[in-house]
Amino acid sequence: MRTWRFSRGLSFVMILVFLLVLVLSGCGTTGGTSAKSGSSGLTIKVGIIDTYTGPPTAYTQDALDGFKLAVNDIAKEGGPKIEYVTRDDQYKVDQALSWAKELVMNEKVDVLAGTINSAVSLAVSQYAKQNKIPFINWGALSDEITGAKGHRYVFSTPPNTAMIAKTGAIQISQLPYTKFWLAGSDYEYGHLVVSDFWTDLQKLKPGVQKLGETWWKIGEPDFTPYLTAIRAAKPDAVIVGAGAADIIPFMKALKATGLSKQIPVWIPQSIDAGTLRALGNDQPEGVLGTNQYFYYYPDTAANKQFEQEFKQATNREPGFAGLYGYMAGKYLGAAIQKAGSTDREKIVDALEGLTLDTPVGQLTMRKEDHQSLDPLFYGKTPGTGVVANGLVQLSPDKVMPSVEDVMNARAKK
Amino acid sequence: MSVSMLASQLLVGLSRGMIYFIVAAGLTLVFGVLRVINFTHGSFYMLGAFIGYSVAAGIGHGSAGFWLMLVLAPLAVAGISLLVERGFLQFVYRREHLIQVLLTYALVLIAGDLVKFFWGSQYRSLSTPPIFTGSFATGSITVPKYNVFLLLVGPLVALGLWLFLSHTRFGKICRATATDREMVDILGVNSTWIFAAVFALGGWLAGLGGALMAPVVNISLGMDANTIIYAFLIVVVGGLGNIWGALISSLIIGVGEAFGALFMPDWAVVLPYIITGVLLILRPSGLLKSVW
Repeated sequence: MRTWRFSRGLSFVMILVFLLVLVLSGCGTTGGTSAKSGSSGLTIKVGIIDTYTGPPTAYTQDALDGFKLAVNDIAKEGGPKIEYVTRDDQYKVDQALSWAKELVMNEKVDVLAGTINSAVSLAVSQYAKQNKIPFINWGALSDEITGAKGHRYVFSTPPNTAMIAKTGAIQISQLPYTKFWLAGSDYEYGHLVVSDFWTDLQKLKPGVQKLGETWWKIGEPDFTPYLTAIRAAKPDAVIVGAGAADIIPFMKALKATGLSKQIPVWIPQSIDAGTLRALGNDQPEGVLGTNQYFYYYPDTAANKQFEQEFKQATNREPGFAGLYGYMAGKYLGAAIQKAGSTDREKIVDALEGLTLDTPVGQLTMRKEDHQSLDPLFYGKTPGTGVVANGLVQLSPDKVMPSVEDVMNARAKK
Repeated sequence: MSVSMLASQLLVGLSRGMIYFIVAAGLTLVFGVLRVINFTHGSFYMLGAFIGYSVAAGIGHGSAGFWLMLVLAPLAVAGISLLVERGFLQFVYRREHLIQVLLTYALVLIAGDLVKFFWGSQYRSLSTPPIFTGSFATGSITVPKYNVFLLLVGPLVALGLWLFLSHTRFGKICRATATDREMVDILGVNSTWIFAAVFALGGWLAGLGGALMAPVVNISLGMDANTIIYAFLIVVVGGLGNIWGALISSLIIGVGEAFGALFMPDWAVVLPYIITGVLLILRPSGLLKSVW
C-alpha cells in the first residue's frame, strides 16, 4: 500500500509539471500586436490566417516576419497604420473558414491575408468573394488562386505553380534530354507542378517522351526503393515535385544512392538557401532546380538592404516566404496611399496594376488576374554551401500564363 | 529487369521492413502485455528523433555524436515513457478502451506541443556518420550503406527481444501476463512493475526507431502521425500483441512496397493498404496468433 501511495503522490507532481509546461507553452502562441502609428492618419486592420503549428511554420513564420517588416517600414515612412491580428488555421480548411468569419465579424478586419495551404487559400478566397473582402494570398502556390478560381477580391504575391513549372520547362528544354520519368509527393502541389511542367515542356520541345511516373505519400520515410526503381527505367532525366515535407529527405536519398550523379534530377526549390542549409553535408551536387527568391541574388542594393533588415529583425536570412509576406504588406500600404482611403472597394481598385519597388526590382500587380508579376530563377546545387551555381533570372513575361489563358480558364469554370 | 536490380530492391525493402519492425515491436509488446491501444507510441518515435538530434548536434554531428545518440535517445525516451506510464496510464488500465484511447491521444497532442515548445517548428536534419555515407555498389546492385546498417540492426533487435522474452524470468512473466493477467496476479507477481517496465521497453524501441531514422528523414512535427498509422497496420496484420507476427508483416509490407515501387509505381502509395486488406481478408485475426 505504501508504494502505491508514494507512486500516486509522484504522479500528481508529474501531472502538475505537465500542466505547468502546457500553460507556459500556451502563452507563447497568442499573437497580435500593432505597429507604431503613421502620420497619414489612415488606419487599416488586417486579419491574418495561416498555419502556426506544425511543419509549415518554417515558411509561415518567415512570411509573417516579412509582413511585420513591411508594416514597420510603411509606418516609419509616414504611411498608413496597418494593424493586424493572427489566427492559426492548423492547416485545416474548416478552421480557416471559421477564423475568416470571426475576423470579419468580431475583429472587424478590412483585409484578409495568409495562407500557406492552397486548399485553405482557395476556400478563404471564396469567402472573400462572397463577402467582398480583399484577400491577399502570400503563401500558397496553387495557380488556381489567381487562375481558374480568381475573382475581383483575391490577390497573390508569390509566383504560382504554373510559373515555377514554366521556369523549369525552359531550363530543361535547353538540355539534351528526351526521355523523362515524372515523380513527386502525392498531393495537390506535387501533381500540379509536375503536370504543368510536362505540358509546358511538350510545347517547348515536341517529341519528349514520358517513361513512367512514381508518386509517394507525404512524409515518406525512405526514398531508396523509389530511386532504385527509377534508376532501373533508365530515363534521361527525372522531374520531381517534392513537397515541403519531402524535399530534404529526398535530396539526402539522392546523395546516398548517387542517383543524381548518373541521371539529372530537377526539383523546384532544390537550390533554395533554406533547403541547402538544412541539407548540410548531405547535399547532392548538380541537382537542377528553380526558386522564387535568393537573398544573395540578384546582388543589388535593394536586395541587400532587405536581407540586412530582415536579419536584424529575426536573426536569419529571408527565404522566399519572407519576401512575399513583405511584399503583401508593401502592396497593401501602397494601395491605401494611392486610394487615399481604407474603403475595401477603393483598395481593390488601387491594387490593380499597382507598381512597386521591391528587393527583386520593380514589380506590378497584374490588373487582369491580380497575380504579382514576379521574377523567377533557375540553377544547380553547388555540392557544398548555400549559394547555387549558374543562376539565371527569368523575367515575369517569360513565365506568366497569358491574360488570355487565365481568362479562358476562368470562363471554363 | 535484371536479377541484380531485383536483389538490390529486395535488400532495400528488407531494410525498410526492419525499421517498421523496430517501431511496431514496441507497440505490439505494449498491446500484448498491457492491453492498451497506445497512440503515444508515434510520439515516442518522434521524441527519439528529436532527442537524437539534440544529442548529435550537441556533440558536433560526427561519428561520436551518431553512436552516442543511438544509445542516449532511446534511453531518454524509455525514461519519458516510464513517467507517462506512472503518471497517467496506470490509472486507466481497468477502464474501457475508449478512455485509454482518449488519454493516449491527448498525450499525442501534448507531446506535439511540447516538441514545438522545446525544439521549435523548424525542420531539422542530421547527417549519416562518415562510415555510412554513400552506397555499396557491385555491378548494378546499389544499396546505400545506411540501409545495410539498418538491415543488421533490425535482426539484432529481434534477436535481443527473443532472448529477453523466452530466456529471462522477466520476459517469461511478460509473456504470461500477455496470456493471462489474472493468473499472474494470483501467483503473486507484482504486475504493476511489469507493466511499467514493458511500457518503458516499448518506449525504448520507439525511441530507437526514431533515432535510427533521424539521419534519413526530416526531423519534424508530424512525423509521429505517419509512423503510428504504419505501426498499427503492421501490428494488426501480424496479430495483435504477437512480436513475430509484427516481424513477418513488417517485412512483407517493406518488401512489398519496394517491389511495388519497381513494378507498379503509380500504385505505390496505396500498396501497403492493399497488402493489409488482402492479408486481413485471408487471415482476419492476423498472420500469427493474436493475444486478444
